[in-house]
Amino acid sequence: MDANSQQPPDNASVSVQHLDFCYGSSLALKNIELEIPAHQVTAFIGPSGCGKSTLLRCINRMNDEIPSAKITRGGIQIDGVDIYQPSIDVVKLRREVGMVFQKSNPFPRSIYENVAYGLRLRGLRDKASLNAAVEEALVASALWDEVKDRLHESALGLSGGQQQRLCIARTIAVKPKVILMDEPCSALDPIATAKVENLIWDLKNDYTIIIVTHSMQQASRVSDNTAFFYLGELIEYSDTAQIFRNPSVRKTEEYISGRFG
Amino acid sequence: MTSHHILREFDKGMVSLKSDVLLMASLARQNLERAMRSLLERDLDLARSVIADDSDVDDLERKIDQAGIDIMVRFHPVASDLRLVITSMKMAHNLERISDHAVNIAKRSKKICKSFPLDEVGLAEPLYSLASKLLRDALMAYTDANAELGEGLKVRDRELDRMHKQMITTLSGRLETSPGRSENLLHLIFVARSIERIGDLAVNMGEDSVYLGDARDIRHEHSKPSPAPQGGSESDTPA
Repeated sequence: MDANSQQPPDNASVSVQHLDFCYGSSLALKNIELEIPAHQVTAFIGPSGCGKSTLLRCINRMNDEIPSAKITRGGIQIDGVDIYQPSIDVVKLRREVGMVFQKSNPFPRSIYENVAYGLRLRGLRDKASLNAAVEEALVASALWDEVKDRLHESALGLSGGQQQRLCIARTIAVKPKVILMDEPCSALDPIATAKVENLIWDLKNDYTIIIVTHSMQQASRVSDNTAFFYLGELIEYSDTAQIFRNPSVRKTEEYISGRFG
Repeated sequence: MTSHHILREFDKGMVSLKSDVLLMASLARQNLERAMRSLLERDLDLARSVIADDSDVDDLERKIDQAGIDIMVRFHPVASDLRLVITSMKMAHNLERISDHAVNIAKRSKKICKSFPLDEVGLAEPLYSLASKLLRDALMAYTDANAELGEGLKVRDRELDRMHKQMITTLSGRLETSPGRSENLLHLIFVARSIERIGDLAVNMGEDSVYLGDARDIRHEHSKPSPAPQGGSESDTPA
């Protein structure tokens, strides 16, 4: 983000304010108002097409790449900084707001190079510093013990779950403030899913995490707060225990209890 | 929730669970009613049938617990569905204990029936009448997830407690003045105790219905310390 803008508190909170978002003439998000607290896990849930992934991609401006897509009202602030103001450097923004995708997407390089890639882009050249940073990221992503003896082997030889944790290591290597996760476990088996969920619990001490998931159980297990979206609107946003024990809105209860979806 | 689940098996499981609770409730109430009738009408056969039929209630308790666990394992219910499963399992536990009290009453009744008629058995009738109403309303609170009806049972049970105390006082007095009837009077004291406990169990079911309907846990609220008055100090606290 632009260092010349106002000096906000460094707590990595995300504030979505009266956000309308369109694909062409189609309104995909309607008046979304959401305060996402720092160093907590917030889950976005809702049926397909409800706008949850669209909102996630607004937070690191991934939607900028879609020609007809644009915010038509409102905005998003991270630590009080409007991330859509013209002076924002989008590359820097995406360094501070990392993203983990549904399908693991390691580069066709070595395990080491996958993690070191972002660090090199930031200008880190010193070998010892690179080694230390790669190890730190792999330890933090609970992958170090499994790969420390084959760091220079291809990342494509790792299992699906390991590849996804490698992608998380690649994301956290550049020390973002916020991590966006778009269905990060949908292609993983239960054991690999459990490892990623354990990782999410560990990472929230240092990062603000926002996760899109279709699994109600996963949302209830890993998140502190849950936002339920339906047809582009935020229907209910509350702490996760409240949402899954006694939601306030009937539509939320119908969705989480399997009455539609 | 009245609308249909996307999985038909889930709806079938929930309907079956609830109907088993209602069947169990009907059997437990029937056992209680027959136990009391055996006492009041000196009917030994009725008492024997209550004792024999209790195993049906026990079987249903196991069936309901198993069905509840099965639903939780297979479907991971949440919100009001989860509350219904948990409350149904608790209802089954309370109903099983009510049926046990009916058996206790039937066993005491058998002993009383085998002896000379005891005029004091009539004293148990008003207690039973009130306990039966509390039980009926507890079941209605569960069926309709009616938190208001469930929450009101605690206050209504105080009248049953008062009537129970009065009956014990009366029977204790007669124990002193009629030592020849002491064994039967003691049986009747235990009958009164069972009826009073059935009132307590109805209150428990009412509290569970509040959780079912409103997701509020009102159990043991009487034992919680009152919040300290704003701006007060220790010296304000009465000794």
